[in-house]
Amino acid sequence: MRPLLVLVLAACAAWADPKLVSLKVVPAEVTLSGARAGQEFLAMATYADGAVRDVTAEAEWHVSNPAVAERSAPARLAAKVDGTLLLTAALGAARAQASVRITNSRVERPFSFSRDIGAILTKRGCNGAACHGGVKGRGGFKLSANALYPRDDYEWITKGGTYQVLTSEVKGERIPRVDLKNPERSLLLVKPTMAMPHGGGKRFDKDSEDYRTILAWIRKGAPYGAEGGAKEPKLTRLEVYPPLTAMPVEARQHLLVTARFSDGHTEDFTNQVVYASNNGDVAGVAPDGVITARRLGETSILIRAAGQVASAGVGVIGPPIADYPKEPRWNFIDEPVFSKLEKFHIIPSRVADDGEFLRRVCLDLTGTLPPPERVRQFLASRDPKKREKVVDALIGSPEFVDYWTFRFSDIFRVAIFANGLTPKWSQKYWEWIRHNIETNRPYDEVARERLSAEGYGAASRHFLPYNLIGPPGDVMAEEVRVFFGRRLDCAQCHNHPYENWSQDQFWGMAAFFSRMFKMGPVVFDHPTNMDLSSKDVDGKIQLLHPRTKAPVTPALLDGTRPQLAPDANPRQALARWMTAQPYFAEAAVNRIWGLFFGRGIVEPVDDFRSTNPPTHPELLAALAKDFREHGCDLRRLMKTIVMSRTYQLSWQPNATNREDVVNYSHALERPLDAEVLLDALVQVTGVPETFSTAVTDGSSVGQAPAGTRAINLKDPDMYFSRFLELYGRPNRGAIPERTGKPNLGQALHMLAGATYMNRLSGKNSRLARLLEAGAPDAKIFEEFYLAALSRFPTRDETQELEGILAKRGDREAGLREFVWALISSREFAENH
Amino acid sequence: MRHRASRRDFVSAGSLGFLGLTLREYLAAAPARLPETARANSVILFWLEGGPSHIDTWDPKANSNFKPISTNVAGIQVSELLPQIAKRMDKLALVRSMHTRGTDHPQATHYVITGHEINPAMQFPSVGSIITKEMGPRNAVPPYVLVPKWDRGRQYEDYFRASFLGGDYDPMCIPDPSRPNFEVTDLSLPKTVSQVAVESRSEFLKVVDRRYRALNETAEHADMDAFTAQAWKMLLTPAVRDAFDLGKESQKTKERYGLDSVGQSCLLARRLVEAGSRFVTAAGYHGNSWDTHSDNDKGHRDRLAPPLDRTLSALLDDLDERGLLATTLVIAMGEFGRTPMINPNLGRDHWPNCWSLALAGGGIKVGQVVGSSDEKGYNPASRVVSMGELYATIYKVLGIDWRKEYMSPIGRPVKIANSLDDRTGEPVGELLGS
Repeated sequence: MRPLLVLVLAACAAWADPKLVSLKVVPAEVTLSGARAGQEFLAMATYADGAVRDVTAEAEWHVSNPAVAERSAPARLAAKVDGTLLLTAALGAARAQASVRITNSRVERPFSFSRDIGAILTKRGCNGAACHGGVKGRGGFKLSANALYPRDDYEWITKGGTYQVLTSEVKGERIPRVDLKNPERSLLLVKPTMAMPHGGGKRFDKDSEDYRTILAWIRKGAPYGAEGGAKEPKLTRLEVYPPLTAMPVEARQHLLVTARFSDGHTEDFTNQVVYASNNGDVAGVAPDGVITARRLGETSILIRAAGQVASAGVGVIGPPIADYPKEPRWNFIDEPVFSKLEKFHIIPSRVADDGEFLRRVCLDLTGTLPPPERVRQFLASRDPKKREKVVDALIGSPEFVDYWTFRFSDIFRVAIFANGLTPKWSQKYWEWIRHNIETNRPYDEVARERLSAEGYGAASRHFLPYNLIGPPGDVMAEEVRVFFGRRLDCAQCHNHPYENWSQDQFWGMAAFFSRMFKMGPVVFDHPTNMDLSSKDVDGKIQLLHPRTKAPVTPALLDGTRPQLAPDANPRQALARWMTAQPYFAEAAVNRIWGLFFGRGIVEPVDDFRSTNPPTHPELLAALAKDFREHGCDLRRLMKTIVMSRTYQLSWQPNATNREDVVNYSHALERPLDAEVLLDALVQVTGVPETFSTAVTDGSSVGQAPAGTRAINLKDPDMYFSRFLELYGRPNRGAIPERTGKPNLGQALHMLAGATYMNRLSGKNSRLARLLEAGAPDAKIFEEFYLAALSRFPTRDETQELEGILAKRGDREAGLREFVWALISSREFAENH
Repeated sequence: MRHRASRRDFVSAGSLGFLGLTLREYLAAAPARLPETARANSVILFWLEGGPSHIDTWDPKANSNFKPISTNVAGIQVSELLPQIAKRMDKLALVRSMHTRGTDHPQATHYVITGHEINPAMQFPSVGSIITKEMGPRNAVPPYVLVPKWDRGRQYEDYFRASFLGGDYDPMCIPDPSRPNFEVTDLSLPKTVSQVAVESRSEFLKVVDRRYRALNETAEHADMDAFTAQAWKMLLTPAVRDAFDLGKESQKTKERYGLDSVGQSCLLARRLVEAGSRFVTAAGYHGNSWDTHSDNDKGHRDRLAPPLDRTLSALLDDLDERGLLATTLVIAMGEFGRTPMINPNLGRDHWPNCWSLALAGGGIKVGQVVGSSDEKGYNPASRVVSMGELYATIYKVLGIDWRKEYMSPIGRPVKIANSLDDRTGEPVGELLGS
């Protein structure tokens, strides 16, 4: 601990007097096109300690050719006439330049409702989720969140009416919110200026630019303007500079936002977007895009423009660290992780020692603790490749197949249901998963088979809960969540409140599942052009849009409608498309990553959204690329992960990384999942658990074969287990989520419950065997430590344990109490 | 999202004294203060699993084969199958116009217990979990209990759980108290564990965990310490164990309730609310379901209505005698009613469109009927009551703001009193006497 402290103190001294190394202007080159086109510039200084700071306000600015553009403080240019100029920033002795070209300075951009009015509605917060952009709108007035659907907005504004969630019919009388005869009396103007009471308060003044824009628009007859056809370039992306910034407390950073349009041109949108911080305690952001760092931590700044959202990462960092250690990179995972840590002034923990590594990697790859002998061997081995060898051995072990079958049975929801007690079916599905794991089948193939959902094959069993095929919307949303890591569910009933998912997209995707039928356990699609002459099969079945009541045909999320033969299974097209999308590989690697680190690069692992950005975007992209390039090979992905230095860091924190929980600077302790913990209790104590399908008067209806592990229960829902329920075994009736949060029931069970009490004695228990063999106390402590914690007890620990035991008087009773303590300890109950 | 415990939290939680009883004093179940608007402090849900035939019980009709009988409230009749209850109609309010969703048992149970239809995108908290969360525990007694647990399948039990509110608000599910070997697990230390053993365990644990805990200060560890302290308190407080001990009741009382699962579960429910529980589901009908798809009349006459008549009467009398009726809300209901028409097996099938339930105690205006059904009991004829309105009424009686919405982890607002068509239910004024 002491050397670190010195290091930090030394760092503080360096902090006081950084030496300027270089200066740059951002953007360094830009074209301003169109009348009054503007651009914000930043001056970024790099210091000797590696810090990069926004010095826009301190720098002196100079324009080489003031005739073509006007500068306003500190560094904003507005186009006057066509031409070129150089913009220079000076700070001390340092100089940096940007070259600027001005074109089309006399060309007025044509009016566009979506762009001009949509921008005001977005910028002024009118269409925020808490206001008119909410699911049902506010005060009867509904706008699409973030002006995503300008056509709809135009209609609600110019035709009036009250939106209803469940029908496309308009409630009540339609009174336009613009008054073409008396433009000044339009609701769209009197409400936001509070000339009439407005629940949302005052949004802009009568003498504001926004007011004048809206008034002028209404005076012109409130046109939709340049119809968003092929002609009008669409905003396709927002780019933020800097995408990730590390700054000390109280520092400021101005963000630059560039809009990229479908015709390839870009515009500075810094002043046309809304900024919000995900965590204002860490860093706040002003309406003009200036971030202020408040306290140590990490957050994102969300940036919204009409129809688009982007985000920028902000780390508020401690003092720089002199002589920051050179961290070796073991594979491609380490570079993005360690370079971010260095940028954030966090030193990663040392590499885990052998015992730590072995326990963690055994639990993560096989859900199984290494037995004491294996631990001894591994600790004693001097083979420099022993870690890689053990990883290969684990990946090739039967326990690996057991464990990952269990994991995917969770994710893929192998479950039986009260109404369709058909374990035969669910077991076929379980066997399909197991076979895929056993043969390491490419994940995209697995996904395609499940998505296609047809025939007698076991993958189709998933679609038959209740012995019926589920509603198309539910089934589709689950597939998207599992394979795309995205939650479309909200869009089932309404456009998604914060995402670019519309209700139309939802039902277009659902339509791929809308003609599924079953006969016995065979799933097929009813041909659209044939009468099966069966009273059970309605050949005319159609999926109707819940709001418009119009028939819906299959459409991919990007709007494409694949050409489908009348007797084709439309999901084959869907499966091909989904597994080829970048989302697919990203979601897969993120889900697996989450299981090895206790958190996803996007967390929760199946909640990718623009407002929930990844902590390490390059890492996510690199993992996805590698996964894709190697045939979606799950085993290879897992090996890559565990062979990274990042994975192999110790859990023991240092002074700089103690608070970090998102940047992988040390291994995060994670509670063992219920099934793994129960198996570990059994393994350490040597007292097996019995799983029964019913508990009636002490007699059981059915029992799993003796010695069955919790991870090997094919239909866990059938088996009662107070332990598994208390420790959060998920109900597979819905997509499982495990919280691992402690609760009172766990505490009671640990102190008095059968799972713990029954583990303390027994004929063939580890304790009984050791006693029978005449093992001395120290040997018994050592065996149990190796079995439970994969480490030897320290000399102090052994001495103290011996002391307590001696004082206890009753040796056997004392040893049982020691076993209880060991299996009740946090070090045992967690993976670290 | 994970949180790190602050150093200070860690120190106070980590330096527990012997048995953890000297620290974390704030865990000493502070008597939860009820809001001034509260009339009741606890709820017993008498769960009529399977769905009683409303026209053969609370809402007698000409198309029932049972006769209506008069009650001790002029103008109110119930089925002849409920003679004891008829003598206590002045302690009950009936709602005869329940209108809910879900046509099979899982769907309907989920709907009436959570107020929401099953949605694969998320799980909803049960009404008992919500009440437990809003009111907090009393006297260190488990606040939310379901008795008895289901012998087969966890699906129904899951509907009674807390979902995203977290494990703290899950019900404690205990075995059938009418069975001879009834024992509540985890509430008492095995006799083999002596005081000395308890001390030695905790000394061993201190040594084993010290190294790891010294470097690892997480909020989860602090929470577990707090729960452990609370658990010790429960294990060592005789009142908690006693609350579950039916041996403390006289044989006469046991018989009054009925020695079967229906009766003993309700008796245990009374003991628990008396001791401090907030919400107890007495679900003794597991083995004797109201699901009469065949021989409806025989089932209602011979095996279903008699225990209801006996046990509900006993429960009302007992609560009243103990002065608990005013503060305990009793709800007797199933997941739906049954078809007014008889099927070929002489049975009645599921009917969520229109059904009845009974309420008592807890400041409910009793001796009245709210709402009515049409001539044969197919549809509500007046004052339709949805689950959201029923919940809003219950919350109001308990002093809970029924307009509350929770945010699910993904940011979907969830109304605690969800009425039809996604509206917030409003309390049923008639039931509140306002």
